[in-house]
Amino acid sequence: MAAKASSGAAAYQPHIGLEIHVQLVTNSKVFCQCRNAFGDRPNENVCPVCLGYPGILPALNREAVLGAYMLARTLGCTLSTRTVFERKNYFYPDLPKNYQISQFGAPVGRDGAFTAEIDGSPTTVGIREVHLEEDAGKMIHAGDISLLDYNRTGTPLVEVVTQPELTGATAAEQFLEEFRRLVRFLGVCDGNMEQGSLRCDANVSVNRFGAGLGSKVEIKNLNSFKFVRNALAFEIGRQTAVMAKGGAVRVETRLWNENRDCTEPMRVKESEDDYRYFPEPDLPPFCPDEAFFAAVEERMVELPLARRDRLREQFAVTAQQAAFLTAEPDTADFFERAVAAGADASLAARWLGADIRGHLNQRRETLAASHLTPERLAALLAMLGRGEVNGKIAKQVLAKVIAEDRDPEAVVEQDGLRQITDSGELRPILERVVADNPRVAAQIAAGERKPAGFLVGQVMRHTAGRAHPDQVHALIEALYEPAPGGEPRNDG
Amino acid sequence: MLTGMIDNGPPEAAAAWSAVMSTAAGARRWQQAALAADEAINGFVEVDATRDTAAVTGAAGNNGAAGSQGAAGATAAQALAGVPFAVKDNIAVQGFSLSCGSALLRGLAAPYTATAVARLQRAGARVVGKTNLDEFGMGSSSEHSCFGPVRNPWDSEVVAGGSSGGSAAVVAAGLVPFALGSDTGGSVRQPASFCGVYGLKPTYGAVSRFGLVAYASSLDVIGVTASDPATARVVFEAMRGVDQLDQSSADYPPPPEPAPRGLVVGVPKGVLDGVDPAVRRALEACRDRLREAGVRCVPVELGSLEYVVPAYYVIATAEASANLARYDGVRYGTRDGYGAADAEEMTIAARSAGFGAEVKLRILVGTYVLRSGFQEQYYQRAQRIRTLIRRSFERAFGEVDLLLMPTFPVPPFARGDAGLDAFQQKQGDLFTCTANLTGHPALAVPGIIDGGLPIGVQFMAPYFREDLLFQVAAPLAAQCETPRPPRYLGPGALRGAGGASCGEDG
Repeated sequence: MAAKASSGAAAYQPHIGLEIHVQLVTNSKVFCQCRNAFGDRPNENVCPVCLGYPGILPALNREAVLGAYMLARTLGCTLSTRTVFERKNYFYPDLPKNYQISQFGAPVGRDGAFTAEIDGSPTTVGIREVHLEEDAGKMIHAGDISLLDYNRTGTPLVEVVTQPELTGATAAEQFLEEFRRLVRFLGVCDGNMEQGSLRCDANVSVNRFGAGLGSKVEIKNLNSFKFVRNALAFEIGRQTAVMAKGGAVRVETRLWNENRDCTEPMRVKESEDDYRYFPEPDLPPFCPDEAFFAAVEERMVELPLARRDRLREQFAVTAQQAAFLTAEPDTADFFERAVAAGADASLAARWLGADIRGHLNQRRETLAASHLTPERLAALLAMLGRGEVNGKIAKQVLAKVIAEDRDPEAVVEQDGLRQITDSGELRPILERVVADNPRVAAQIAAGERKPAGFLVGQVMRHTAGRAHPDQVHALIEALYEPAPGGEPRNDG
Repeated sequence: MLTGMIDNGPPEAAAAWSAVMSTAAGARRWQQAALAADEAINGFVEVDATRDTAAVTGAAGNNGAAGSQGAAGATAAQALAGVPFAVKDNIAVQGFSLSCGSALLRGLAAPYTATAVARLQRAGARVVGKTNLDEFGMGSSSEHSCFGPVRNPWDSEVVAGGSSGGSAAVVAAGLVPFALGSDTGGSVRQPASFCGVYGLKPTYGAVSRFGLVAYASSLDVIGVTASDPATARVVFEAMRGVDQLDQSSADYPPPPEPAPRGLVVGVPKGVLDGVDPAVRRALEACRDRLREAGVRCVPVELGSLEYVVPAYYVIATAEASANLARYDGVRYGTRDGYGAADAEEMTIAARSAGFGAEVKLRILVGTYVLRSGFQEQYYQRAQRIRTLIRRSFERAFGEVDLLLMPTFPVPPFARGDAGLDAFQQKQGDLFTCTANLTGHPALAVPGIIDGGLPIGVQFMAPYFREDLLFQVAAPLAAQCETPRPPRYLGPGALRGAGGASCGEDG
């Protein structure tokens, strides 16, 4: 950790807990058959059930429950053998029934822990609970009217509540990044914070060191990693300043204002919220059987942190490369498949992190959707290793593979990109270059070695980059090597 | 076997209705006659003999309920062919009203069909109207409706009972052979008893609630009012069974082997203490008829019913406060709040204008009992009482096959201020709401006519033993026909009138 700015600040300790909302990837919504999709036309994916029409009943989607249990299991929670849905009552126009089907007394999972690498060292944070609920819709305010989009209404949402064990703004950000990797590796959520499929609220309290938790302030609307970091940093500073002046921090809910870079208190209600939770009479408690738990186990995957360590050990890639490879489950899978297909691990890691990434970014493609397959990458790197293409040509080949959906061998053959290593082929080209550049040739003849690079470049130009550069160097060396007992040989 | 059953077809009484409705002319005649007759009772909120095409085409609604149940296919498909029926206006039938008797939902057309209705349509029955009710099923007199009060076909100055008053009245007046109602605390059985018809409250979970507008979800069931027990049975059998759209619905178990001995009916001790003498007479008359038919009637210990009504109202209002929260005028229904400053103001305006006083009262009570810090004192205590009542009934059903009890402690009462006040009406739910708290099935059966008004009684049976209810009702039905009020329409009056010949029926 960086040194604290002042001794005054160091006297205080922040306690941060996160409430992370994870939108599950499922075919249909949690209580009806409507499509669970982002970005469709407003109010396209709605039906009487998710619009809360009179007489409708919820029917629990097993796929969503499975996702919730998978996440709870991955977070090391004690899994409920009888999980109960409850009604959380509050009025808001984006909530069609004016109650949310959620969980309270018997959530899917409790008492887990999750380890993230924070400032370079593994840090374990307790998970208080994991519960499944339905998401609300979206209310869009436009001037003096408000529009409602109910597409998101009833989509399955898992809320993960951590213990207040995070100790700083950047720690919380890193934890959330690791958590995002986790849900993506597990495949239960796409983790897209911009689209709101991963959302976060934070509880912050600052207190004197060792004095336990202070007055809790909840911050809402943290829909990017940057907002999490900035809002928490601001809030820690604000609370510390209040306490340093001998004041008391008010227990309240604040909103992050991204335009003004500060947290602001939400409209204060006269009475405290009372959600009047009670068990949902329309849904019997869900009691998973052995087959269900077996299905959960079947879907367990290697966690990103563990995979990162394994990649470093198994393939001797650098820490940085391992971090990049495990940022997305697809990247790590691609890497391992390429190595299995014969690719050199360190080379594959380097290419994935640089050129391949560049092409995909430019084309706005994902690795999984691109024409580059692990087998094609392995083939390309093999040709590079065998000297059939040089580095520069290999990059051209890569571009063509990605853009034109062709095998690298075919690109090299059909486009005539094979490296020229044959001296018989290279020598006449070099001689023409020497003839065209007599001044440079004279310098080299005089014993200067630096201009040789210029001649190599010219040969490369004449061969469209296909000449083997080391081979050309060797030819130049041979050309000007003082022959024993005589002047440089001059043909002709 | 029940009397009046015809193999592979509607019961006799219902079959006569199929014949009437089988022609366009017959349906028209029915519609005119029904509308005219309904002027005296106000049982319908909507009448249309031709709108429901789902029954004719065999398309059972749009909600995928088809295939999600285990009702017998071939025989069920014919069991109610062409039989008209009415549906309480808190049960969804696509394209028909779904007002729930509330100004807030007046004019709302249901966008889907309830599973129970879809199954009846698949059995050939046809929806011909929606019936009047107490707003959202909250009441015992069918006077709390935005469409005005239902009147008893036996005496228009007397209530029809509630909340399914319309469904009981239109059956009693001979306008349809059966109607669907909902029973949360007696809302099918009490009006059935008041109007002199049969009223079935099935086992909780036996009939899908999908499409029934929830009042109190853990107590609500869709029930039947019918002119005869055979029709009630066929209707029930067509509706029952598990439904994927209602996860509180159950697979209907096959009935166990009948006991070699005859039925034993228990009459709870002290159940007649404090009831009206006429109600006592009705119960004793039924007991005597059963004994005449060779059914053993014995006294049985049931324990106190003192806490039944308080527990019932705590649970019912708690659930209602959440169930009715959705009526905010935002997505459907009438809205009085255009120009409101914010959503909260708009919601308050819609609900203030849209809900009646009784509904507001129950929402407030339900909100109160669910407040944090008060749940233990009210809601959870009520749930514990509910468990104790369930146990005492299960104990009683270990000794006897059925229980015989009054339906309501007083005979049908006068409309308006001359009748019972709201509190007395709630106290009167004592005998009916027990079956809702425990989930047991119950059947109201016509008893006697006293002072020109019908007084019914009810039987309760073990879970999923509706068969016992129909079994015990059969000898009673055989001994005395269902009484008819002075003005009774019935299929006989419509058949062949206006020159419609049998040839047209082909």
